[in-house]
Amino acid sequence: MTVAQSNIRAGFADPVHDAQAAFRSVLDALSRPGRRFAIGTPFKGLALGAAMAHLLLALTDDDTPVWWQQNDGALTAWLRFHTGAPVASGPDAAAFAVIVDVGTAPPLRTFAMGSVDSPEGSATLLVEVPSLTEGHAVEWRGPGIEDMQVVRIAGLPDNFWTQWQANHAAFPQGVDIVFTCADAALGLPRTTRVRRLEGL
Amino acid sequence: MKKTLATDLDICMTNAEKSTGYEARKRWLAVLARASRQELEGAWAAFEGLVAPEYVRPAESGMVMLRGRVGGTGDAFNVGEASVTRCALRFGTGALGVGYTLGRDRRKAELIAMFDALLQDEVPHAEVVRQVITPLASQQATRRDAASRAAAASKVEFFTFVRGQT
Repeated sequence: MTVAQSNIRAGFADPVHDAQAAFRSVLDALSRPGRRFAIGTPFKGLALGAAMAHLLLALTDDDTPVWWQQNDGALTAWLRFHTGAPVASGPDAAAFAVIVDVGTAPPLRTFAMGSVDSPEGSATLLVEVPSLTEGHAVEWRGPGIEDMQVVRIAGLPDNFWTQWQANHAAFPQGVDIVFTCADAALGLPRTTRVRRLEGL
Repeated sequence: MKKTLATDLDICMTNAEKSTGYEARKRWLAVLARASRQELEGAWAAFEGLVAPEYVRPAESGMVMLRGRVGGTGDAFNVGEASVTRCALRFGTGALGVGYTLGRDRRKAELIAMFDALLQDEVPHAEVVRQVITPLASQQATRRDAASRAAAASKVEFFTFVRGQT
């Protein structure tokens, strides 16, 4: 009995329906950028937010390497046990990235951007932030947003939106981001244009 | 599902391999997997009254690809797929018990996992081995022996006389 195995926490109680519900929520989040969607309830004893844990269980499998910003053996063993997802060797090899402190995360361009021929080969970043209702207001426009959406996300570094502009400009390549905070998720697909509001 | 199941078998094996009791655990899991559900239910009756297990992975059915080699030495090929049911659970803060069994009987996978969890705990280990594993193993050995005797008794030797010689 290894330490990692004895620490493994439970996954979905009802795997089929829980995974479908989580998938539906993240689909909504990415097709309606800037709106918050609730995903699931917390897992007992798991050091991950509810939304983050549900997304990982629903989206990953043995074909999707996951890069962990903080490589916690218990969490990687948990995900590997439930979905078979391997740990990515680096940010550029990851299909999904779990970022818990966006301030110290590597820049967006270090993650897989996909190629012009297959832009779907890009990474999806799952970013846990302290709040999805506080922080500097920014203005989002683009597909899935009627007119304009004001979004406030706390804990982002100063140059984050500059990095995002470069990511958006690389369309059709580029990464997609799902911000999570406890049980809420908010999507930022590569098609979204972001502008800072006045006075910042 | 199919692929995940195969990977997971690997994980369980490699994790268990690191522990010292790997061979012993492999043996008791094999005995439990070969037992029938009725036998396991009957044996479990003696251990009722434990705290309810925490299901780390509720019992679920899937498929695994069976591979074979002609004559045991040829190239590996896919024989076909088999239904497998698996379950993982633990009692309190105890070890993770896993159950894998052929077929789609979820309760049987749960029972195997519950016995596996108990067998990894030093306190009930000896009791479970004495009451469950040893009797089941000897029954299975007897059955296997009887089956191979029955097969051996029906064996027909084919031979031909050599022709063309006087």
